[in-house]
Amino acid sequence: MTYGGKLARAAGWSRRSVVAALSMAAAGGCAARRSPDTISLWAMSYEGDYSPMLMPGFTRATGVPVEVQTLPWTAAHEKLLTAQAGDSLPDVFMLPDGWVGEFALIGALAPVTDPALLTGLFPGVSAATGPDGRPYAVPWSVAPQVQYYRRDLLERAGYAAPPEDWDSWRRMGQRLKARAPDDYAFLMLLNWWDSLFTFAGQTGANPLRERDTRGNFRDPRFRDALAFYVSLFRERLAPPALSTEVQDPVAAFAQGYFAVYPYGPTLTLDLHRRAAEIPAALWSTARMPGPQGPGRVSGIAASLCVSARSRRPAAAWALVRHLTSPASELTYQRLIGTLPARAAAWATPQLRQPALAAFAEQMRAPTREPMIVEWERIRIEVQLIAERVVRGQLGIDAALVAMDDRVDRLLAKRRALVEAGRLT
Amino acid sequence: MTRQERTAWGFVLPVLAIILFVFALPTLLALALSVTDYSIYALADWGALRFVGLGNFTGLLTTPLFWRALGNTALFALLGVPMAIGTSLAAALLLHDASVRWKPLWRVLLFAPYVTSVVATAVVWRFLLNTRFGLLNRALGWIGVPPVDWLGDPHASIPAILLFVTWKIFGYNMIVFTAALSAVPHDLMEAARLDGASRWTRFRHVTLPAIGPTLLLAAVMSVAGFLQIFAEPYVMTLGGPAQSTTTVLYFMFDEGFKWWNLGQASAVAFILFLMILALTFAQARIGRRYEWL
Repeated sequence: MTYGGKLARAAGWSRRSVVAALSMAAAGGCAARRSPDTISLWAMSYEGDYSPMLMPGFTRATGVPVEVQTLPWTAAHEKLLTAQAGDSLPDVFMLPDGWVGEFALIGALAPVTDPALLTGLFPGVSAATGPDGRPYAVPWSVAPQVQYYRRDLLERAGYAAPPEDWDSWRRMGQRLKARAPDDYAFLMLLNWWDSLFTFAGQTGANPLRERDTRGNFRDPRFRDALAFYVSLFRERLAPPALSTEVQDPVAAFAQGYFAVYPYGPTLTLDLHRRAAEIPAALWSTARMPGPQGPGRVSGIAASLCVSARSRRPAAAWALVRHLTSPASELTYQRLIGTLPARAAAWATPQLRQPALAAFAEQMRAPTREPMIVEWERIRIEVQLIAERVVRGQLGIDAALVAMDDRVDRLLAKRRALVEAGRLT
Repeated sequence: MTRQERTAWGFVLPVLAIILFVFALPTLLALALSVTDYSIYALADWGALRFVGLGNFTGLLTTPLFWRALGNTALFALLGVPMAIGTSLAAALLLHDASVRWKPLWRVLLFAPYVTSVVATAVVWRFLLNTRFGLLNRALGWIGVPPVDWLGDPHASIPAILLFVTWKIFGYNMIVFTAALSAVPHDLMEAARLDGASRWTRFRHVTLPAIGPTLLLAAVMSVAGFLQIFAEPYVMTLGGPAQSTTTVLYFMFDEGFKWWNLGQASAVAFILFLMILALTFAQARIGRRYEWL
């Protein structure tokens, strides 16, 4: 009894003090509330983490303070959607190109009206458009997938650089595997769609048909890409691992757990930072192999967009102009390794590093992605089915049928709207 | 209305209003959503919204992933409830023994995981469960068991997450059981001991009936909890490998908040609601039969 009483009293006390502390914190938060002319910026991952370093220059030049928030990639899509539904989108935010059509459709984005923002782009880079064909985003950085490879491991297997066609590339994998049976040749995380869609893009397969209202995965070219992708796992050249299992890919790359890692440009930053573990002489980059040599690859380009409901559109567009200027993009390249979308930035000596040559070449050959709302989900669900093939739960042809079925269902609403003439 | 009744209503009304606004009204709205095809197109333009009747429900029944999610959830509940309650009860019984010293310290230590953050502990557990250098596989290696790909093998992923969940939540029920155990009559226990009842018989015929209602309550809460399991698979495996840890709630979250198919997500929520209601009802009936309630 007395024990219980003491407990209750203790709980009451602590609750009261917690409430007091909370209200004090809330009051403090109110006191430090941002000034009304502050504009807000949301960006994902490194772009968000490092954006505050670019803000002092902007605030000095324009007098507009900027509040930056970082979103994790894994939760960015739902966070932005709920923000739009709840009318709390920031003035400026970063979007990967694949999401621009979707956010333009739901009326979250203001169209780009200043043509100067869209000039001087790197060849192959273009602004993402909305359902009405107008540009809604200003390209900021481009991230085509290339392969990072361990020069020493490849040399030991008899290669100066990775071969450029699929068959020789796989043969290189077999040689690497034969030399170190406990390690792997490639790392392609099974819950990420980028490698599969890189291979598919290189075959020239169109993933969708009939004005993007049906899946086209039974296309023999996509079948080739899937078969090649799956064979790399079946032959144990790549570990069947998820992103949650490989906690530190850079360390694993340094240890030689795998020799080739298809990835975007931001990995260069991690590799430079951890040069003590993996010296720069040990790795290099090359374009991804294609069926008969390198081809077109979808680059996950990041763009900046302005919210349609921004209360300070002029300041928001000024911030976009500042962030996408060649000077800012070069600063970013130095800080976080993202690749500039402006051609002028590429003319500087800073970008003439040998490790960036593969990216520059690949950027000139992008694939055109379907700009539809469902595209993001389609890629994820197709990858889920591909994962089941890798794990031996499904045959390749059954998987292609399943992909088309699933995608047709995902596109049912779009199909109805297109047939009714309400969407193009 | 007497003055007393007025006072009573005065006390009850605020709570009733809150229940109405944060529980009854959203439930009704969700039910209304579940018979529409509310999707991202409706967010863009209300004109795209259509009434589909039971279409979402019949659509769900033909979605393989929904069935897989149901199966995974059932597996979580079937394995998880006995695992979690068994661990709680065992820990409570151990701590209840008169020979244990520093009881408050043990209670705090065993209760601590319950109040830690899921995300932080999940990161630690992901390292523990790592196939190549995880402590768990190393320990298994000492007794000659080959390494298990805990979070990468579709057959091992649910047990792996259950290990984590059990470790995380057993402390709560342990405290509840500790309280219940202290209410077991001493004289009854002494009498049973004098009559020559063994440890097991005393547990079965004296302790168990005394803590029966508590056990039932813990079971009801655990079943409801495990049917709504979400955060653990979300932070440990993102629903993978091969969707082997995608639960009903995870499926609903993906449909609703990730892809904004709120119509379909509401249908899932409604089915989950009915499932939990039915199971709780069944448990209450069982409890009444054994006169625990």
